[in-house]
Amino acid sequence: MSDLLVIGAGLSGLMAAYTAVKAGLSVNVVAKGLGSMHWSAATIDVLGYSPAQPETAVKRPLEQIPALIKANPQHPYALLTNEHIAQALAAFVALSKDVGVPYGGAANPGDNLLLPSPAGAARPAYLAPKGQLAGDLSRSEPMLIVGFEGLRDFFPELIAENLNKLGYSARAAFLPLKLATNRRDFTNVQLAQGMDSKEQRALLGPALKKLLRPGERIGLPAILGIKAHATVLAELERETGAPVFEIPTLPPSVPGVRLYTALRSYLQNLGVNLTAGMEVIHASAVAPNGTPGSIQWVESATSSRPLKLLADKFLLATGGILGGGFNSEMNGRVWETIFDLPLTVPQNRADWFQVRFISPEGHPVFSGGVTVNKAFQPTAGEQPIYGNLWAAGNLLGHCDTIQERSMEGIAIATGVAAAQALSS
Amino acid sequence: MHKLETEVLVIGGGATGTGVAWDASLRGFKVILVERRDLTHGTSGRYHGLLHSGGRYAVKDPHGAAECIAENQILRVTHAHCIEDTSGFFVVLPEDEGDYPDKFKAGCDAVGIPCTEISVAEALRREPLLNPRISRVFEVPDGSSDSFLAAHATAQAARNAGAQILTYHEVTNLIMTGGESDRRVAGAMIRNVVTGEEMEIHADITVNAAGAWTGKLAAMAGIQVTIMPSKGTMVAMNHRLVNTVVNRCKMPSDGDIIVPSHTVCVIGTTSVNVPEPEPLRIEPWEVNKMLEEGDKMVPGFAQARVLRAWAGVRPLFQDTYTSGKGRDVTRKLALLDHQEREGVGGFLTITGGKWTTFRLMAEATVDDVCRHLGTERPCTTATTPVPGAEQGNYWLGHRLHDIEEQHLQGQLVCECELVTRTMVENAARRNPLLTLDDLRRDVRLGKGPCQGGFCTYRGVGILHEMKKAGSWEVDMSDEAGSTAKWDVAYLQSPGHNLVSDADGHQSNQHPANTADSFNPNLLLRDFLQERWKGVTPILWGRQLKQERLDELIYMSVMNVDHLPDKELASPVTDFYRFDTRPTVEEVADV
Repeated sequence: MSDLLVIGAGLSGLMAAYTAVKAGLSVNVVAKGLGSMHWSAATIDVLGYSPAQPETAVKRPLEQIPALIKANPQHPYALLTNEHIAQALAAFVALSKDVGVPYGGAANPGDNLLLPSPAGAARPAYLAPKGQLAGDLSRSEPMLIVGFEGLRDFFPELIAENLNKLGYSARAAFLPLKLATNRRDFTNVQLAQGMDSKEQRALLGPALKKLLRPGERIGLPAILGIKAHATVLAELERETGAPVFEIPTLPPSVPGVRLYTALRSYLQNLGVNLTAGMEVIHASAVAPNGTPGSIQWVESATSSRPLKLLADKFLLATGGILGGGFNSEMNGRVWETIFDLPLTVPQNRADWFQVRFISPEGHPVFSGGVTVNKAFQPTAGEQPIYGNLWAAGNLLGHCDTIQERSMEGIAIATGVAAAQALSS
Repeated sequence: MHKLETEVLVIGGGATGTGVAWDASLRGFKVILVERRDLTHGTSGRYHGLLHSGGRYAVKDPHGAAECIAENQILRVTHAHCIEDTSGFFVVLPEDEGDYPDKFKAGCDAVGIPCTEISVAEALRREPLLNPRISRVFEVPDGSSDSFLAAHATAQAARNAGAQILTYHEVTNLIMTGGESDRRVAGAMIRNVVTGEEMEIHADITVNAAGAWTGKLAAMAGIQVTIMPSKGTMVAMNHRLVNTVVNRCKMPSDGDIIVPSHTVCVIGTTSVNVPEPEPLRIEPWEVNKMLEEGDKMVPGFAQARVLRAWAGVRPLFQDTYTSGKGRDVTRKLALLDHQEREGVGGFLTITGGKWTTFRLMAEATVDDVCRHLGTERPCTTATTPVPGAEQGNYWLGHRLHDIEEQHLQGQLVCECELVTRTMVENAARRNPLLTLDDLRRDVRLGKGPCQGGFCTYRGVGILHEMKKAGSWEVDMSDEAGSTAKWDVAYLQSPGHNLVSDADGHQSNQHPANTADSFNPNLLLRDFLQERWKGVTPILWGRQLKQERLDELIYMSVMNVDHLPDKELASPVTDFYRFDTRPTVEEVADV
């Protein structure tokens, strides 16, 4: 029995757990999987492209949010003031330093960074792990993008060619794969683990220095260590005398693994009990009857038998379709899997998609979600459905967080705000 | 204008066309085959992959059934590596009881299809997911075939015998000679759809093997050939729910065959008359019907994860057009001698039929070619295995075995289908390709559960690296692959692709003549859209979640929607952008 049970261990769930435990609540987190940090570039995207101008990257996201809300009054950011959002982001930055995975922003505070994507496009991001910051395309040093021969998840020539086409100075080079690994089967995470070892990375610095021309900065795939990442980065910068930055790769995301792992162990030290691999499949509740109902307990699937999880308050942060918080079926029904909360997703498959996969309008099925009030309680009409249920993160409807590049911003801002609301 | 001379010009690069090129070149004719897209772009690449035993036609069409079993036994030798020896069941469900099962057995016996009734217990032991309420089971020698590999291998055999195979070469018109009384087709005007170059191919005889496009081609010679395009929709599930081909033991109908194919299984088909062979929409009732019918044979089928849906057209030939249902029009091969029929010389049409009988269709056609050219040369295809056949039958563990044996795990570009980097590199060098979709047909890239989520980026990155290193050129010229460089026998085997071609022989590198035709950003966008087109009809549940992950990768991580070169389009870009979404009315009807 705890004061609060957070369901979901993505960025919103973990930020909510952190906020609540700081406010003095006892908190448990239960999750089916590991959250979407493992898939993403692990940057904090607050608003990269505004639906009104999908071709042009947003320069100063917080300043753009009022216009976004004006055009879409139900947007999750509309539940918050800009001040709230800024405070939540500041809380994340402070936490990131405390957990040992420090994040930072553009040189000009309030601007979006523009970071090279693994395809060589310019990704707008509000905050990025320290290891990605030197990749900011607003900096003037030419880039040396270095890959490893035969590595299947990173293509420096493609990156350099596209960056050149976009007007940035970049060139590509390769190092032998054996400088990264001796294994014949490997993933990015295994390569990064290898870099944690001093012996494995001993030759990397000198080899990079040989490739380097004066004045260049060095871009590498995001495999520069997991536990020893800060050391690897510092060593390489010292040995080459050049700024070094990581470019995210195909999933699994090493920067995402670093952030998740650090947040998780930090929370556990604060007394948060976090259990992954337990999907909540069912809730027992007093049904709403003119007045809000209440959740008594939820049940999770385990390998042996269903487990009852009790708490005073429940916070749902299971994500939408991507996170697994919603499921759907052929007849067009889309539902929230635990509490069957009402969703704004179109309930007819004919209304789900655009003709083109790449559509600036986004596919309508992905922009529906749970509607909450200003206190982040799921509502039907004016009234909360359950008196002790809150919701946050990417399950909130009324926007497409991938099209907007607002996924992490919404996760952090609403996660913090929901936890504050339920703690007060 | 560029001119080529040949004895036999084959139009169409499906099973039939490649078969004709193979047969004619083995008989010593000089052959050129032209295909407007990639090999098997049409019906041959859009079917369920069933090697018929003939059982399906045993009652309705004994002649067709006899052809099937004869060809089945031939292809098992000539195209061994393109076939998995799955065996096949005809199962009697409670609603299928009646006199059909006995008629079926008698029909099989009459035309020589080995058919054994086995106990239900035995069938359930071998296929535990089968509906336990079945009352009778007959076993026949059905199989599962890979029509992509088969067309490649057949084309390779033709090439080895001197034929020239030109993909992405489109017929713009037929070259007609003579007056009212002695009209002849003397070849065709061809356009390279990549470079836009035009050329003439003069031929003694032209074979129209354009499948669903047969009628359009014949019209260029002023001849009416009525092809009734009959659409069949197929649905692929993400598991092999059965390891044996499972048929309903009843008159052929919708959704009554499940074919295990590589790592998945495919259910088919519907039969709907359509006005045009392309593009084909998949309607919700069709998908629903496939799942419902699948559920009858394998309870729970409809709850399994659906990977993709696609449709092909049966090029059904009718001498006089009626509005009969597609499945009732003859599936027999139709060889039309236009000299006899319309007095137009030098022109044959081969259509109808089915994949299993493609070799027979080719034999009949080339027999006629010989007659027209006044020569007698016996057909040898029935006893001449194509390159790669010596590997023996395909088996499910084929790729995994090679990868584990050779420790190729770190090379995997596509984890779903176990495609290695060297397979991609060699396929690109050996087989002219324009899009990643071509690579999909070559090595199965992007066919698995993530539908291109991971391998699209990797495929583009690898091709781009090859291009930069000068070890590969996009070569769509009429000389492309006209040499030993085209070698596809081992395209699909990781264990035969341990060394990249560039490290070995450097032979036959053609000069770049289409430098602008390769653009990585276009390739990326085209393939993402191509995969999208086939998933929209079946996106719900876990596959919808998968698609959202693909969006996360390509929009959020890669930012591909803001890559340069947005204005570029390939000859197939528009084809991929066809609207396949269900309509409100269609969804309501289900």
